[in-house]
Amino acid sequence: MHKVWAVARNTIAQAVRMKVAVVVIVLLLVVLPVMSFIVVGDGTLVGKLQTFASYGMSLVGILLCVLTISMSAYTLTSDLKLKQIFLVVSKPVCRYQILIGKFIGIAIIDVVLLVVFSSIIFGLLVAMPRLSDAPPHEIETADREFFTARIGLSEQIDRKEIEKVAIKRYQELERTGQLPIDMSPARILKELQGQERLKRRVIESGAQKVWEFENVRPVAGTKVVFVRYKLRVSGGYEGMQVKGAWLIGDQRNQEQFGPGVWDSPIYRLDTSDVLEMFHEFEVPVDAITDDGYLAVMFNNLFVNSATVIPEEMEVLYKAGSFGANFTRVSLMLLARLIFLTALGVSLSTWLSFPVTILVCFVIFFVGTVNGFVLDSFGYIEAKGIMVLYNFTFKPLLWLFPRFDGDFNPTRFMISARLLSWSFLGQVYGTMVALKSLVLLIIGFWIFSNKEIARTIV
Amino acid sequence: MAKVNSEYAIETISLTKIFPDWWGRAKVIAVDDLNFKVRHNEVYGLLGPNGSGKTTTLKMLLNLLHPSKGRAMILGGVSGDTKITERIGYLPEDSYLYRYLNAKETLDFYGRLFGLPSKIRRQRIETLLEMVGLTGMANRPVGTFSKGMARRIGLAQALINDPELLILDEPTSGMDPISTRQMKDLFIHLAKRGKTILLCSHLLADVEDVCDRIGILYGGKMQTEGEVKTLLQKSDESQIITDALSDDALAKIRQIVESEQSKCEISSPVDRLEDFFVRTVASAQQQHVPTSGAVNTATIGGFLVEESDKEHGVLEKLVTATVEEDKPIAKADVGTERVEAAPVNEEKSSLLDQLAGNKLEQVETDQEQAEEIEHIETVEEVNRALLDGLAGTDDKNSATEHTKRDNPQEADDA
Repeated sequence: MHKVWAVARNTIAQAVRMKVAVVVIVLLLVVLPVMSFIVVGDGTLVGKLQTFASYGMSLVGILLCVLTISMSAYTLTSDLKLKQIFLVVSKPVCRYQILIGKFIGIAIIDVVLLVVFSSIIFGLLVAMPRLSDAPPHEIETADREFFTARIGLSEQIDRKEIEKVAIKRYQELERTGQLPIDMSPARILKELQGQERLKRRVIESGAQKVWEFENVRPVAGTKVVFVRYKLRVSGGYEGMQVKGAWLIGDQRNQEQFGPGVWDSPIYRLDTSDVLEMFHEFEVPVDAITDDGYLAVMFNNLFVNSATVIPEEMEVLYKAGSFGANFTRVSLMLLARLIFLTALGVSLSTWLSFPVTILVCFVIFFVGTVNGFVLDSFGYIEAKGIMVLYNFTFKPLLWLFPRFDGDFNPTRFMISARLLSWSFLGQVYGTMVALKSLVLLIIGFWIFSNKEIARTIV
Repeated sequence: MAKVNSEYAIETISLTKIFPDWWGRAKVIAVDDLNFKVRHNEVYGLLGPNGSGKTTTLKMLLNLLHPSKGRAMILGGVSGDTKITERIGYLPEDSYLYRYLNAKETLDFYGRLFGLPSKIRRQRIETLLEMVGLTGMANRPVGTFSKGMARRIGLAQALINDPELLILDEPTSGMDPISTRQMKDLFIHLAKRGKTILLCSHLLADVEDVCDRIGILYGGKMQTEGEVKTLLQKSDESQIITDALSDDALAKIRQIVESEQSKCEISSPVDRLEDFFVRTVASAQQQHVPTSGAVNTATIGGFLVEESDKEHGVLEKLVTATVEEDKPIAKADVGTERVEAAPVNEEKSSLLDQLAGNKLEQVETDQEQAEEIEHIETVEEVNRALLDGLAGTDDKNSATEHTKRDNPQEADDA
């Protein structure tokens, strides 16, 4: 262990003396505070906080990733290239100890830098409401909608049911000979599913839709839960806003026992919402029944004379504190950095510096758009290619890290969403314990069998 | 100290290294079926021109390269084994140090790799830095060091574990003559303390001065191998070294030799440039001319000698000690037969003492300095006389009365 630590210390010294580290650190130290003052967002305090959290965390995340990639790709390749490794491997050190030392050294730098920059962002975020001249109600809103950690329940879509209906419609079209000839069957099915999904969401003028949520269990002492949504209208609507009436509460008994027999109070809210933007309103917590049931009904008023399509309907409730959530968000970023460290160190056992850094960046960018890549390949139509894709590229994509979607820490910050310990554990399990370990083991194997002084003649 | 668990410190069996080209075809046979053995407590010199496979052999011994065929045994095992590498000190052909670490950090790093406890590490770093004359530059990044200074640190790191076996690749490359001399003295000293040294060089003077046995490589094959003394001795010539003689005495000698039906060449000995250089720098140091380079000291790391040299205790000054014990070592014209070498002029050996630095300077009296100046004058006189002599003869070879042992060829040509 002492020997591993010696190598780690040396790696830290090497990285600290690398100019790129200093540049990144200075850049962040200047940019972050400046950014906290100049961001505006949508003009409200919450908007400002969200914008800063989003840009700040993304910037720190990307720069630290770039720094980690360059450090981990540099440390071993430079030792090999400048032959300093001759003196190290001829000492009583096992080669795996050298690799672990390098890995630990860079991981330590990552931890230190992440702690420093996360603390700076956290400090700035906490200070922003006080430094800004926002009215008290905005500060209150910020406390409720930003400085918290909420769980979001979204509407359940019955996929199986949709698939079934789509197949039925397909068969119907086939029977009547109405299948479009220029589309493959898979594409037609997909299209039909999409239509069915949309059909379930649309609310005609004057009609209503109920969303039912189960297992809504906010932490004790919570006074309100939030409903978050976005509205869209189907074509031809001139206005910018739609009017709606919301009824929230358990209305199940109404059908059975007639009007007025309810398990919970029913709240009514009239809204006039700008289209294509997220909106949130509060619901007193007693609208939720004891068994955790909450129903939300939207009435598309006649006055709109438009078909409304609500999107990304969610019920949000507080489930943790902002500080703890922020810590977990930072830890999620750390998992990413640790993976990249293992990747760089592992690749540099057999690739030169330029190649290592190139491969690392490719993997990093594929990781950041992993979902997009997967989706785009989902549309491959030719059957032969699809099989090839399923057996070659798809498993490889699993090996690739995922940095987007649910694995993007910034997302949790912006909508003040709870990042649970169990999800974080899952991320560490796959990204650190599994993928990083596999990479390091491959690296050990290559490095142990490597001819250090080898030259190709 | 030396745990002898095998007959030889180094043994290679049909060691072969073939470098393939990019397609895997054999391109260069760097080492070809090499068999050589180095005994414990021996100084072995591996000689050969550039590209003869010396460094490749060392790298295979150190597990930096894998043999294409054959085996390389080192201290009874293979060098991939950490139990074996613990007992080896290695100085590569270039120092390959981390440029951003300072001298002290460098030694500390390598000390840690040997798992030395911090107390021992600290002590050894201090003595080693003093030994290689870099105490004043302990906190300067080694990236700013000249090649010779980097070489000194390289040597210090090779000694930090008090190794049983030292593998040195071109140890004196880039070093000034004084440092070269000191380093050679150090090797001789270490050998005396029971260390085995494998020295690899193409600087023949280095090898000749320190090695017990040499092997000459060419084309990856061992061309010849044997004891330096045996290989270089010329049994058909004799050499007499005396103080300056009168013309009368010389004529008598010539007469005697001629009566023996032998040929005889008489001249004054020529000083080696190395000695002349050492003297010049020594006098500059005495006058305290400032320098940003390394300081020449003659101390040797205490830990390197303690265990195997208990009767002497810690040897403080290598050069002084050497002069006392085997005076010839201090002289450049001693060569390999140091024990039975010709008597040495006391004044001459004190020259190296001056390089021992401050300690010695402080005790030096005015009288000694006067002697020194007198000596330099004498030597210059001799040189002048020699130049005059050369001007008067067509023979460009300076045949000398005091034919040097390490230059037998000269006498031959004459």
